[in-house]
Amino acid sequence: MCPGTLDGAQSITQELAGSLWPAAGGIGIDTVKLFTWGRRTPGRLTGPRSVPMVAVVILATLAGSTLVVAAIRAVVPDAAPVYLLAVLAVGTLFGTAPAVVTSIAGFLLYDFLFVPPVLTFTIASPDEWLNLLLLLAVAVVIGRLAALQAERAQEAADRALEAESLYRITGVLASTRTVGEATPLMLARLAETTAMDRIWFGLGPSPMEEHIVADTAATEALPVPGWHVVLQRLPDGPMRWVRTHVGRAGPRRSPRAVVFRIHVEVAGELLGSLWALRGRAEREPDRAETRILSAAAGQLGQAVVRDRLVEEATSAEILRESESLKSALLDSVSHDLRTPLATIRAAAGSMLDRTITWTEDERLAAFQTIDAEAERMGRLVRNLLDLSRIEGGALRPELAALDVGELALQAARRIHSGGKTIRVEIPPALPPVLVDDVYLGQILANLLENAVRYGGPTIVVQCRDLPDEGAVELSVADDGEGVPMRALGHLFDKFYQVPRTDGLSRRGMGIGLTVVAGLAHAMGGTVRAERSVAGGLAVVVTLRTADPPAELEDRSRVPAQASQ
Amino acid sequence: MTQSGAWLLVVEDEEPTRRSLSNYLVRRGYRVDEAATAAEALRAWDAHRPDVILLDLGLPDLDGVDVIRHIRRAATTPIIVVSARGDERDKIAGLDAGADDYLSKPFSVGELEARIHAVMRRLGGPDGDPDGRLRLGQIELDPARRAVTVAGSPVHFSPREYELLKVLLSNQGRLVTRERLLRAVWGLEYAEAREYLHVYVGRLRRKLSEAGVGPLIEQMIATETGIGYRVAASKAATPAEAPTSG
Repeated sequence: MCPGTLDGAQSITQELAGSLWPAAGGIGIDTVKLFTWGRRTPGRLTGPRSVPMVAVVILATLAGSTLVVAAIRAVVPDAAPVYLLAVLAVGTLFGTAPAVVTSIAGFLLYDFLFVPPVLTFTIASPDEWLNLLLLLAVAVVIGRLAALQAERAQEAADRALEAESLYRITGVLASTRTVGEATPLMLARLAETTAMDRIWFGLGPSPMEEHIVADTAATEALPVPGWHVVLQRLPDGPMRWVRTHVGRAGPRRSPRAVVFRIHVEVAGELLGSLWALRGRAEREPDRAETRILSAAAGQLGQAVVRDRLVEEATSAEILRESESLKSALLDSVSHDLRTPLATIRAAAGSMLDRTITWTEDERLAAFQTIDAEAERMGRLVRNLLDLSRIEGGALRPELAALDVGELALQAARRIHSGGKTIRVEIPPALPPVLVDDVYLGQILANLLENAVRYGGPTIVVQCRDLPDEGAVELSVADDGEGVPMRALGHLFDKFYQVPRTDGLSRRGMGIGLTVVAGLAHAMGGTVRAERSVAGGLAVVVTLRTADPPAELEDRSRVPAQASQ
Repeated sequence: MTQSGAWLLVVEDEEPTRRSLSNYLVRRGYRVDEAATAAEALRAWDAHRPDVILLDLGLPDLDGVDVIRHIRRAATTPIIVVSARGDERDKIAGLDAGADDYLSKPFSVGELEARIHAVMRRLGGPDGDPDGRLRLGQIELDPARRAVTVAGSPVHFSPREYELLKVLLSNQGRLVTRERLLRAVWGLEYAEAREYLHVYVGRLRRKLSEAGVGPLIEQMIATETGIGYRVAASKAATPAEAPTSG
């Protein structure tokens, strides 16, 4: 019948059936085939219709009808309806023109074979003339109506098919997060549906500046943009393909393939192009294919815009988060620096007031306060610097075998305990640990200050030998409220604040423990947080012991990596 | 000038700061109660009804702003907020809750004492004047006649300017937020119209300055950037200095 048409349609229906009813594919194909088995509107044929072929069919139909008419003429007085049936069949299958041809040919044949005088085109009786002319008119009208009906049915089926194809192609966009993810599959399906040899999608203001997002034949070099056929979409006119070129117009050689271009634009803004390539001998895309290509380009445009909006929103969000983190950090830093500074100014200002005569003890106490608070500020600044070194991987500990108990006692003496009790429990014969004394001092100061600030009235510093592991555990525990179990794992995260249940604002910067962990790791140690025996928080730092005596000899720098 | 006998409550959770401040204030002749938490503060306030409260906003058990609200429900005891928080919103929240003034850490003890004096001068209050007139230095505002004089000579003000001056003079020794001024003079819906305030305060200052107050006006109605205006308190000095015009 019309092989070109069926091939194209069939491949779509097979695909459709396969994807919609994988188990019952055969049924699907057959069902749709009933609708596609018919003539297509002239502009939508998938290949030039063969005129001889149609003629053969018409002749065969007429010959068949004639035989039937001859056979039944004995029984039925007027066999004209049989010719009408033939016209109906041709009209349904091939459209108006063949139906008209069939009508006229049938009219002549009937005249020639059955109207007396038989075997001439002459018509004897004027009545017969009228009969025959009426038959011709009825045949033409029936042929035309049959053709229209077939066209409409075909069109509806095609539209449904087109919609399904389009859904299958652009549905990929809805199920993926970005255009980049969606396009490879989408273009492959598009190429298959529109019978293109290759389809690619480029984003950019002009063909020369486009970057290719996806390409169904990415391994092959792209054709140099030159002569191509671009789809023109007029505001309310039809779509049409126009031959054009980009860049310097080279000689209009006959290329081996035709390149088609569909603009991808949204609200008048040209975002890029959808390109399609088809072998040279092939025709330009038919109306259905054009519509699918155009719709796909439209969907791509929408998706690109959507992607952009999402990206903008995300980067704005990231910016805002980092801004808010920055301002929270600055707020904390300024708060934590201002607090000791306030004490220093109060104490120093008091000493400077000439109207007051201070006793020697009062004076001494004030200077001790100033000294302690200045040290606290120094520790804070050191924490900030350490934090940046930890993050930059720039910690260079100078490890030496030292007595951890002695260092713990020193740290406990230096810290401003605020009336709280700090108990240091060191077992005898503790092996020396391999530490940087400045780092360990900073670790202890941070842990003790936290315990003083957030813990209960008693703070216990303990050391435990773990000879099997070649390590010593140093723990700082308090008897305060502790922290919720779920917060324990986050305590060493940068800027982490234990969530407060009472709605009070955050206190502290959330960098002290981060620094503790960073410094401990830099010395080859580890940290963990757990519930203390007294129900508060215990932070346990594990430190490597120095292997005597070889390590003792080698006091030189041991490279260590900061790891967070 | 030492205000002998004035009773202060220092609410501060940082022990070194609290001790240093209280040592100084005691030696300056004040009687000082100390509190490290909001609970202690409210207890001490109940027990002694101090003359002035120095309040740190960042307390471990309750937000300082809530402490202000709690006290304001019962008394007008002057409250000076002392905080290390840098955010202006905190200051405004404290002032709007009823605090009289605000000091950012770190501050000098001299500045603290000056603020204590300022809020204490307000204690007797301009509202307590027998004739109902408001006075600040040479400026005198008579609500009964809606008239303002500087050193006895009348100065003309538009109704809005007059209202604004009245609110400012009623808040001597205090830091008044822009929102409060806008609400009091222009109404609720103008609480954000800061440019109005800027323009009107500028006009007030110019007229008062030209009328004889001179450049001193910048200190009498001082701008606290980002927050509002601090009105000087001169009540202690005024009765002696002010020319008796009535």
